[in-house]
Amino acid sequence: MLISNFWAISALFAGLISVGAAVWFYRWVQRQDAGSEKAQEVASWIRQGARTYLQRLYLALTVVSIGLGIIIAIVFGFDIENLGTGAAALAPGRGFSMALAFVAGAICSAVAGYMGMSIAVEANVRSATAAQESLSQAFKVAFYAGSVMGLAMVGLAVIGMSVIYLLTGDPEIILGFSFGASALALLAKAGGGIYTKTADIAADLVGKVEIGIPEDDPRNPAVVADNVGDNVGDVAGMGADVFDSYVASTVAAMLLGASLFAADPGLQVRHVLFPLMLCTLGIVASLIGIQFVRVEEGGRPGRALNSGTIITCTIFAALTAAVVLLGGYNVGLLWATLAGLITGVVIGFTSDYYTSARFRPVLETARVSSSGAAINIITGFSYGLVSIVPSIVGISAATLLAYYLTELAGIDGIYGVGVSAVGMLSISGMIVSSDAYGPIVDNARGIAEMAGMSQEVIDTTDVLDAAGNTAKAITKGFAISAAALTVLALFAAYAEVIEARGVELVISLRNPVVVVGVLLGAVTPPLFSALTMLSVTENAFDMIEEVRRQFEERPGILAGTELPDYDACVALAAQGALGSLVGPALLAVALPLVIGFVLGPEALGGFLGGSIFTGVIFALFMSNAGGLWDNAKKYIEAGQFGGPGSDAHRASVVGDTVGDPFKDTAGPSLNTLITVMSLVASLFAPIIAAFHLF
Amino acid sequence: MTRDVRVYLSLMPEALIASMLTPEEFGVYYAVGTEKKARGQALFIEVDPQFRHDYFRIEEGMRRCVPHEDGSPKASIYISVYRVVEHVPLNAMGKLYLVTQDGRVLGLEAADELPEVTNGFHLYQEIAPVHPMVVSSLGPQGFYELIVKNPEILIRLPAICFAELRLGNLAEDPEHGEVGDLPYSRIEHLRQCLMALARKTVDAKMVNRTAPATFSYRTIQSGIFVGNEEGLTFFPLPPVETLRAEHYRWWRSAWSA
Repeated sequence: MLISNFWAISALFAGLISVGAAVWFYRWVQRQDAGSEKAQEVASWIRQGARTYLQRLYLALTVVSIGLGIIIAIVFGFDIENLGTGAAALAPGRGFSMALAFVAGAICSAVAGYMGMSIAVEANVRSATAAQESLSQAFKVAFYAGSVMGLAMVGLAVIGMSVIYLLTGDPEIILGFSFGASALALLAKAGGGIYTKTADIAADLVGKVEIGIPEDDPRNPAVVADNVGDNVGDVAGMGADVFDSYVASTVAAMLLGASLFAADPGLQVRHVLFPLMLCTLGIVASLIGIQFVRVEEGGRPGRALNSGTIITCTIFAALTAAVVLLGGYNVGLLWATLAGLITGVVIGFTSDYYTSARFRPVLETARVSSSGAAINIITGFSYGLVSIVPSIVGISAATLLAYYLTELAGIDGIYGVGVSAVGMLSISGMIVSSDAYGPIVDNARGIAEMAGMSQEVIDTTDVLDAAGNTAKAITKGFAISAAALTVLALFAAYAEVIEARGVELVISLRNPVVVVGVLLGAVTPPLFSALTMLSVTENAFDMIEEVRRQFEERPGILAGTELPDYDACVALAAQGALGSLVGPALLAVALPLVIGFVLGPEALGGFLGGSIFTGVIFALFMSNAGGLWDNAKKYIEAGQFGGPGSDAHRASVVGDTVGDPFKDTAGPSLNTLITVMSLVASLFAPIIAAFHLF
Repeated sequence: MTRDVRVYLSLMPEALIASMLTPEEFGVYYAVGTEKKARGQALFIEVDPQFRHDYFRIEEGMRRCVPHEDGSPKASIYISVYRVVEHVPLNAMGKLYLVTQDGRVLGLEAADELPEVTNGFHLYQEIAPVHPMVVSSLGPQGFYELIVKNPEILIRLPAICFAELRLGNLAEDPEHGEVGDLPYSRIEHLRQCLMALARKTVDAKMVNRTAPATFSYRTIQSGIFVGNEEGLTFFPLPPVETLRAEHYRWWRSAWSA
């Protein structure tokens, strides 16, 4: 038992070490100088706003978790194997386990998000304060704080999965854990995305465009909500998103291992635990890689973050090769892992090409902006569409390589696809650490500005911030690609679960029910995007009115003689974001069930396929186009093509505003949407197999 | 606490105003601090409170400038709104203040000397009493003399306030020079005006007859000039490095607009 579960136990220990390291980093950051009273006051506004939002979010999640947990306990409290046979037997233990796993998944994701965000709103002011001393120290504070999110996320995910496996030995129960994490991710990512862009757009349109005050000016009533939004969207939201994909990819591969190797119990255990082994090695590699991320005085933070990623990948690849070769695993699994890992990194850097001001797409979009907003939008839109191609080619290559290399090595290729998704996500600890660094230094820059710190401090935080933007772009590309491979694996797992119940799953486009499923699936991501973006515009409209009202009724705000009412904007953003989640959340959870129970498992298969294809395409397009418009504007603001106040700048501001909800609300939320829908399908597959109209 | 009554010469728009506010307070008030939504960029000069001229009823304006019933200082009493600059002598003018549209105030001292004339063409934004944008082959002194002192053209002004704006590479190479961070609208038209100037015998050519008096402070080449028949005064804008280091708030507001 102990030997057969070696990797599950190892994963548990690796998870505990990872969480322990996160706690150590948390305390280290807390011990750093929190700066002047003024800086601490500004930071406290952001901290309070962030915590208020998270408390409301988690309250909503508690209600959802209890409701869905009860439903899961009841539904899975029946012996599914006998459903529809007229001899339904009760299996309350399984239902209870599944419900507990669901709640545990949500709690683990919430705790990781809370830890990450709690330290982010402590680290921002400490990083700004450290910037008075040196770039190196300011970077260290921000990156170590980001590591709290990265390490807590992978640690808690692995602890949750390994404990459930050790207690139940059933990967299908871990599916409940994954669904819990996905439910939270959907609320956190979509809610955070709506929050952050509501505040950002209102702050920019009234503060910058109408009144003419600079970015992060403390006189802007929406400035605190804007800074809070960076944390709820990019720390808690992105963390929950990657947590969701990380767990979902692992459980999908575990499920495939359980079903494809069912004939040989010994092989089955090895292949069920192989994904957990990869997670363990990924944690070890991330813990080592993080130690290499440092910047000397005058150095480049972006280069340090990239080096950390490359070093982590190299260590992970070496460890995996050693374990596969020495542990007697099929070498095809090594190739599948490496295919996923390399593709993830390459796609991440491809995103950088389409969103960085060093390359043609952004430069060209900036150049044509002098011809007006329409040309800016058409150009950015077009490059956004082109940007889909390399990622899709990469995902296709990873899928084919993983499939055929494992087939050639004598293992079912679909298991290789599942393993490649885990391989890609195995270094999530490092990736999320770099990503969470971004909003921390963004906030640090805002605090330096609002607290009236010196020009040198602002210059230093500017340098840190630029690297954060690149890390953010890379993580988005990585997260979307990882989600794509994950849902492909989940799709295969869904098919395995259905076929294991004796239902032959033929997903043919000659079957009209499948065609209807594909079409409905294809339309879901655009509809979801529309709902979230309309929420942004509706909430931003309310906040714009509030900001205008404050400026008009209280001239002392602009005169600098009285403080704005920051809380009013924070409350509006929080209420708006959470209130807007009902429609998109229902769509994600209810639609696959309706399709499955009404049109049947084949239509649901088509539905998942359709949603995966448009979901990945829309996610890549929106994230890259939004990033491209944003950086085209920043490039012009840096003094090109007329600089601030020029016709080109005005056009680029329009493009950036259009792109804001693309890149930070709808685009990244689509990862979670397709993962949630695939998980719902896989989770309820046995019941759908038994009960469906068509 | 009693407050002195001060007199300000607003250049944008042209007006003479009595106020109980200090120049910094007046700048904030003038740009943003009113509920009447009369917001926007402002330029004004502090005038010697002892200055008197038959054209203005300054005494009466100052007498009416008393605190409000709640004790708060009176922000503004308009003394005159027409043909003001020409009636204020240069020696009555104190510091010139540049106020951004969000109310950041920068005071400029008058310099003893005019700036060195740079090579190539020059771009001027006239601020008062009229405010077209003009390109010229003449330096600021020459341009002032052309308009006020010894006009060889039909148009003559009794006084003028103008800013010399940056032309960057266009100053010497109108046809191919890079625009860089110059935020002017219709750059092609600006190039054509400069090329026409190169071909013709005239010294100045109007670029934009409907230009508002407002302009981006970051485009200022050397500073602001105020001239009348007595002479020309120059208010130099400090180098950008100095502005950023010593007047960060103003610099950030002015450079992001």
